[in-house]
Amino acid sequence: MRSTFMGLETSKSGLFLQQTALYTTGHNISNANTAGYSRQRVNMQSLPGFSYPGLNSAKLPGHLGTGAEAHSIQRVRDQFIDRQYRQETNSLGYWEAQTKSISQMEDIMTEPSEYGINQSFTDFWKSMEDIVANPKDTAARQVMLSKGQALAESFNYIDTQLKKIQGNIGNEIKVSTNEVNSILKQIASINKQIQKVEPNGYVTNDLYDARDVLVDQLSTYLPITTEQVKSGGNASDVAEGTLTIYYNGVELVNGKNYAQLSTLDAEGDPVDGGVDDEATNGYSEFGKITISEVGEPPEDTVASEIEYADMDKGKGKLKSLIDAYGHSGGQGVYPEMLANLNKLAAEFVKEFNTAHNAGYGLDGSTGVDFFTGTTAKDIAVAITDPKQIAASDEDGEEGNNKNILLLAKLQSKVQDNLNGGTFQSYYESLVGDLGVKGQEAVREAYNAATLRLSIENDRASVSSVSLDEEMTNMITFQQAYNANARMITVVDETLDKIINGMGRVGL
Amino acid sequence: MRVTQSMLSNNMLRNLNTSYSKMSKIQQQIESGKKINRPSDDPVTAVKGMAYRTDIDKINQYQRNMGEANSWLDTTDESLGQVGEALKRVKELVVQAANDTNTSEDRQKINSEIEQIKQQLRDIANTKVGDKYIFSGTHTGKPLYTDPTAPGQNPDVSIPGAENEFKIDVFDGISIKVNTQGSKLFNDIDEFMGEVSELLNSGATGAEISEALGADLTTVNGTFPGLDTVYENVLTARADVGARQNRIEMMGNRLDIQFVNVSKQMSENEDTDYAAAITEMVTQESIHQAALSVGAKIIQQTLVDFIR
Repeated sequence: MRSTFMGLETSKSGLFLQQTALYTTGHNISNANTAGYSRQRVNMQSLPGFSYPGLNSAKLPGHLGTGAEAHSIQRVRDQFIDRQYRQETNSLGYWEAQTKSISQMEDIMTEPSEYGINQSFTDFWKSMEDIVANPKDTAARQVMLSKGQALAESFNYIDTQLKKIQGNIGNEIKVSTNEVNSILKQIASINKQIQKVEPNGYVTNDLYDARDVLVDQLSTYLPITTEQVKSGGNASDVAEGTLTIYYNGVELVNGKNYAQLSTLDAEGDPVDGGVDDEATNGYSEFGKITISEVGEPPEDTVASEIEYADMDKGKGKLKSLIDAYGHSGGQGVYPEMLANLNKLAAEFVKEFNTAHNAGYGLDGSTGVDFFTGTTAKDIAVAITDPKQIAASDEDGEEGNNKNILLLAKLQSKVQDNLNGGTFQSYYESLVGDLGVKGQEAVREAYNAATLRLSIENDRASVSSVSLDEEMTNMITFQQAYNANARMITVVDETLDKIINGMGRVGL
Repeated sequence: MRVTQSMLSNNMLRNLNTSYSKMSKIQQQIESGKKINRPSDDPVTAVKGMAYRTDIDKINQYQRNMGEANSWLDTTDESLGQVGEALKRVKELVVQAANDTNTSEDRQKINSEIEQIKQQLRDIANTKVGDKYIFSGTHTGKPLYTDPTAPGQNPDVSIPGAENEFKIDVFDGISIKVNTQGSKLFNDIDEFMGEVSELLNSGATGAEISEALGADLTTVNGTFPGLDTVYENVLTARADVGARQNRIEMMGNRLDIQFVNVSKQMSENEDTDYAAAITEMVTQESIHQAALSVGAKIIQQTLVDFIR
């Protein structure tokens, strides 16, 4: 036999449930613009029917419903889209950083323009032609000295500026590593909260969202993989548990424990953008990333070392910065350009001096070097007296221009050591290569951004709050709430009939 | 597919962003007049642009060299012309002197004119372009005759480089000789003149004198070229100068044509096509405006606006 007041209880459960759903709708609307928020949904289920089979159970026709309850409140999220999103974020992080590194280099080289090394070269050759026409003209000789200095200074300037930016990139590596470490710590701390709450049966949707935002951020820097570990105790079946994070198969976060990364250079010192080699103002290239044992706080012992070769190609900002900064014996965008400029400077000084040494100056000097230096950093004009410019190929012939003709011809002379190009065409090919790399980086970054947007839209399609939908839900839940209230009135009226109206026949 | 507000605003933001960056690129093209502003915009154009710049500068320099070469050759031509004229006068005088009606006094008078012409020829041998002696080979700081008036002075053929060629670059890998080595030429003339003077002074017969006009002279000091040989040499040298002037003129024309060609190629390579750029700008503007207005309308409206 059912209870007299069962109808009230049934409708009360409906009232509560619809209220919960309404409040969740309110929560969704409040968070419509919260970054990383996933809309939440109340999983409704009907209560067990009456009566439950047993020795003393009531004999009723059929199984009478007893109302509904909120089984759980769950966030709507697609883990598969998250994974795609993070993969694209890896690429975007890589190519965005690469675009930036290359575009900074382009800014310094300022080609094509009237101010770059190419123009300095041309001006230098031009100044020689004036000596060709007037070999004993001191003014023309002085101009050549100045143009030679301008050329040497162009090399010096570009070398200094490129190294400065290389240093900035080194510093960015340090900051990025710190950022990664901070994110790892935050994820572990969220894991820790989740570990405390979930065994009691709660589903911590908003903590999952916060953690996913952090994982998204982390995947800008590193290509990571994640694994969910369910909590024990009385955990709900929709609880997501803690997140274990791996990089290259090494644990970065496990539950409340987290590891710390250190980015070390070839000498084993942290990469920090400080000058490592005072003599050349150079930097010690990237050596490896060390990952500590996980712990809370992390252990000091190193669990794993990741070499450059172990890192995934084209993934993550950290890898991109390392690619620009330098690694594996002189590879990388900046070290390669610096090495090529050094090579150009060295070849140029060598060839030019050899030709210059063979000639005679106005003052009879011979075997004099025009330039000194062997790198882009230390190239400089060696002579100060314009008379010493060896325009002649014989001593004592002030009108002899044969040697300066030979020097001027070096402009179009093919250099075997410079990939069979002239000095200038070699430099042009460096700029061309840079341009191709830059173009690729811009295109890849654009593609990655487009792809990520489309995946972001996929994710938004599943998880983001639609106000229209919430409004519709609100009306639905409100009407259901009203209907439940109405039901209670109906039950009240039937009870009123029994309590106040029965047994008063004839009154 | 479920579509939400945040998707609309994400899309709109990114599209507006793309549209802005396109407009900024076109704006940069229009304002700078260049299609590209950094190598990564278009590496091929950038590298070509660098090479064209070098070419243009080279051509400018060669054109300057051309001027220098012309002034050398023109001056040489003119000087050799004067030498020819002088030698013609010498011939007249010698023919006159060969006439046996002349007394030795008459021949002395003729000789004094011959001496004057000799001085004049020495002055010509010291011709300068700017501060450079053009007949001194590569030793342009030193005249052939350090003191043209000193009697019996021979050209200083021992000065280093006196017989050297002086070349100027007029094109990539092409250098043209712009001087005429004068020491041998003027030495021959000078010696010839000396012999003539000596003949006139020595009281030689008309027949002996007339011999000096054609055949080479043999004296106790050796054999000297006669007037015909000397004159021939001058003409040859002058013809050579003329030929080189032609060559330089041709090179000059070629340089002019090349300058026009390279400038044109450079312009086609990197200059903004204004008609195209402005059309594109206008198109992009209208797209941008449309995007803004549609975006503004769409992101405002939700169901909230329609329910009570």
